[in-house]
Amino acid sequence: MHEASIAYELLNLAVNECYKNGYSKIETIKVLIGRATGVVPQALLFAFNALKEDTIAKNANLIIEETPVKGVCNDCKKEFESNENYILFECPNCGSFSVNLISGKELNITEMEVS
Amino acid sequence: MKVKLTTKILDANERIAEENKKMFKEAGVYVVNLMSSPGAGKTSLLEKTIEAIKDKVKVGVIEGDITGTNDAERIDRLGVPVVQINTEGACHLDANMIADAAKELPLKDLDLLFIENVGNLVCPAEFKVGEDVKVMILSLTEGDDKPLKYPLMFQESSVLIINKIDLKDLLDVSIDKIKKDAQFLNPNIKIFEVSCKTGQGIDEWTNWLLTSIS
Repeated sequence: MHEASIAYELLNLAVNECYKNGYSKIETIKVLIGRATGVVPQALLFAFNALKEDTIAKNANLIIEETPVKGVCNDCKKEFESNENYILFECPNCGSFSVNLISGKELNITEMEVS
Repeated sequence: MKVKLTTKILDANERIAEENKKMFKEAGVYVVNLMSSPGAGKTSLLEKTIEAIKDKVKVGVIEGDITGTNDAERIDRLGVPVVQINTEGACHLDANMIADAAKELPLKDLDLLFIENVGNLVCPAEFKVGEDVKVMILSLTEGDDKPLKYPLMFQESSVLIINKIDLKDLLDVSIDKIKKDAQFLNPNIKIFEVSCKTGQGIDEWTNWLLTSIS
């Protein structure tokens, strides 16, 4: 995945949101990353820390919360949940690739602390 | 103080892709995002396809490459409007690049727009550009293990074109395995077998394409 581009977008969004609320410093940013996105948390953190230097988020901590993959198989109709990194969308019960994901594709900013 | 948000981080690309889609729809253009590894035959397929259908529909092309104008020159020789995007390092096209390039094309005069993505079997699958359909090419020389090694591309694409089938007797490659694994990953994928060198199978593909546009 493109962790550096994601970190860049994330910083842009956070900085704009901070100014919009009338503040000028970002203390923490919380993000929710689904395990089906292919995003590697360590790589995202590395890119974030490198890119934040000259911004109002330069002292900010990035807190990454990972969400499991949940889905329903179209063949065996069973629901499944996985905490593994999950880029191959295969039903763990019957091996079918015809699955609908309910969650795991999240890539969201959920909360910020600003001052 | 705490600020609660529910903002999608890649929202910017998705939003621009939706705007592109709306713009193409309003102009009455059907958009194909064409993806494959380098050398699988994207530009060759475009040449064969455009030659076969250019009397029936008005075609335009956006060419995406890291650098150079070789592909755009090949398309230009066919007498259809073409814009070359140079990503200067980026491994895929994104919606914003397409929004800019589309301004250079007479969209209202076109029925069909091909977007030839950067040759790469991984990243282009992750970025919507505002297309109606994602079409991928796998050439026989790449090997029959590719669907299971690059699953996202096969899962995201609605159409798989297997190219270079004129070489099948020279290679230890099973077309059946490619088809079986691609359908395993994506049960609804539509598959065409073609040779851009001999022209074999091009009719089936262009017939499908013309039906999809109308």
